[in-house]
Amino acid sequence: MKAGKKGPLAPWLFLGPYLVLTGIFFIYPFLNSIWLSFHQTNGPRSSVYVGLSNFAFVLGDPAFFTAVKNTTIYTIVSVTVQLPLSLGLAMLLNSGKGRVRNVFRLILFSPHLVGQIFVGILFAVIFTPRYGLFNIGLQELIAWGLEERWLANPSLVMPALIVVSMWMYVGFNMIYFLAALQNVDQGLLDAARVDGASSWQTFWHVTLPQIKPVAIFVVVMSTIGSYQLFELPYALLGGNGPNNSGLTIVGYLYSTAFETGDLGTGAAIGWLLALIIFVISTIQIKIARVE
Amino acid sequence: MNYPYGKAAFLLLLIAIVSGSAHTYFSLGRQVERPDLVMAIFAPNHEEAYREVLGEFEREHGVKVQLQLVSQRALQSRLQSSLLTGADVPDLVELIGGSMGYFSRGPLEDVGFVDMTDRLHQEGIYSRMVESRFSLWSSRGRIFALPHDLHPVALCYRRDLIKELGIDVSSLKTWADFVAMGQSVVRDMDGDGNPDRYALDAPLNNTAINILLLQRGQQLFNENGEVVFDTELTAQTIAWYINQTFGAKRIGYEAGWGQGLTKAMNDGLVLFYFCPDWRTKQFEMDMPNQKGQLALMPLPAWEAGGRRTSSWGGTGLAITKASRKQDLAWKLAKFLYIKKEDLSSRFEGTNIIPPLKEAWEMPAFDKPDPFYGGQAIGRLYTDLAKETPPSYVSPYSNLAGTKLTEVFLDGVEYIKSRGEEGLEESILNNLKVKADYVREVLNRNVFLRKTKVGGS
Repeated sequence: MKAGKKGPLAPWLFLGPYLVLTGIFFIYPFLNSIWLSFHQTNGPRSSVYVGLSNFAFVLGDPAFFTAVKNTTIYTIVSVTVQLPLSLGLAMLLNSGKGRVRNVFRLILFSPHLVGQIFVGILFAVIFTPRYGLFNIGLQELIAWGLEERWLANPSLVMPALIVVSMWMYVGFNMIYFLAALQNVDQGLLDAARVDGASSWQTFWHVTLPQIKPVAIFVVVMSTIGSYQLFELPYALLGGNGPNNSGLTIVGYLYSTAFETGDLGTGAAIGWLLALIIFVISTIQIKIARVE
Repeated sequence: MNYPYGKAAFLLLLIAIVSGSAHTYFSLGRQVERPDLVMAIFAPNHEEAYREVLGEFEREHGVKVQLQLVSQRALQSRLQSSLLTGADVPDLVELIGGSMGYFSRGPLEDVGFVDMTDRLHQEGIYSRMVESRFSLWSSRGRIFALPHDLHPVALCYRRDLIKELGIDVSSLKTWADFVAMGQSVVRDMDGDGNPDRYALDAPLNNTAINILLLQRGQQLFNENGEVVFDTELTAQTIAWYINQTFGAKRIGYEAGWGQGLTKAMNDGLVLFYFCPDWRTKQFEMDMPNQKGQLALMPLPAWEAGGRRTSSWGGTGLAITKASRKQDLAWKLAKFLYIKKEDLSSRFEGTNIIPPLKEAWEMPAFDKPDPFYGGQAIGRLYTDLAKETPPSYVSPYSNLAGTKLTEVFLDGVEYIKSRGEEGLEESILNNLKVKADYVREVLNRNVFLRKTKVGGS
């Protein structure tokens, strides 16, 4: 081989920049976060080994379980409501004509083009009691909701967060499904139709199996993304919401590590989050394989 | 030309060398041009005021000062990271009230700011300022920033509406008077089931509760950093506030911020607003159409003859330990914060009362403010400033504030499901639970416990 003639140095020279950057920005923080999770620190000069105390505190902290509960509810809704909606929209668009499809694809995808912080600020205005678009709309439609405090009433915070999240992500996930649907073998669909299969049977027995790899990917990525939710509730609620009703695991991590300054406990929360995501993703992938 | 690894690799190498060299060149260039002092601030109106006088300081000392305006959140987070990692930091930095708690969560010697305590006493500055205000910038008895303000709180109202409703504000001496007035004005005017007029802007979090607690002398933490908010006084105050915001005869409504607030004030939805000095300028900028219509009154007292103000917010100027010109930075801090002539003209631009007591004698504070219908708001606030309560901070102030909000919201649920009977007792029990939680978190801090600190 040509590269072999240049000696063993050449590959390392090419890999060098990547390895250096990975070492600095991935491996070192990765190892340091393990070290941090067993310490209490105050900057690089002061640190005290605390053993498993950080993990013990987090696992005994009601706020952590509130964060896990909130994040899990959000994730379940994302996967069970948002993804079927995305798939439904993708199927609608897939059956439409080219130009119409492109226009709607852009319209539905466009909310994702703006950042979560922007969306959070935008919806904070939309949800303003008495004067917000959402509240005025509800009052006009069902004569209720003008004074509702979506972002200040603990029981309404999660529904508000889900509404915003759906506005933002339904179109985004739809793109994945649409791409998958466009690759479904047309011959199989025609054959099913000729054999007298109903629309539902065609979808269940022909379309779904063919888009399954993409669907698994979207479910896993949505789950991981949902468990990493932070910016949207933070911007929308200006923090963790009343009674921690918008507290997510990453929000809890942020408050602990960067508002209180306890980086050690923050690192412990990060590792617990990684563990939760790993377990759930593994289960999802195993279930998908079994099916 | 011979390319041993191909043209692509050569091109990549070339780009890396050119961009690396350019970056190094420009970075070095910037370092050469570094001014004598860099000062970071977050308030745009401070920038305007400081720029007007910085030239004089530069000429007097033959130095160059660079002023950097950074958004508050960005300033806080960048400063936190830079102090932790030892990266480049400004020589002076204006901090928002409460942030000192974060920076002082470790051993005192690790605080990234210069300890000003001895200088303040030796130069007689401490006694020239409102002493209670140093509490916001202190940790374990040491002072790490010079207070910029006091932020005494008054109530702001629409003069025209109050007159129309026949309310005599001079008779609103206590909160009991205020509530009685409030209950008479709350009204559903269009019959849609939602009141269209409320007496008090009442945020549904710990903001107003903190104001009211401070007015009553109740702190979240004492000067030793211990949690002290689980008291009967706190429970009484929260129960009172819940009654005003969710009770059968409520008088409060959360007007919010930004457009919601502007609309609420313009529509006359809410009559009275908690108003520290800084907010008067904000109202002036956001609602120019209200010129001449707004007015201020002291907070009603909790009991006749009691304190008629509180405090909300704050800014302080700290000198970083990393500054190579700490003495010059100290001179600049004094130049900006304790020169009464400048403070007087700065008041006219910001409406903010400085903590330097001798400055209050300046004529600017007696000047009628046309936006507030000719009221001398400077004098009103300086009169209130004398009784501004101290406000102690802790690294866990935010956490304690969150817990207060939780107690408030739990109380709201209580009153909705069980009524007002037993509310105060329920709040007190809840306060004890929440305070114990904050104590647990606080006690985990090995640095505040003064245990042996190991090096890393």
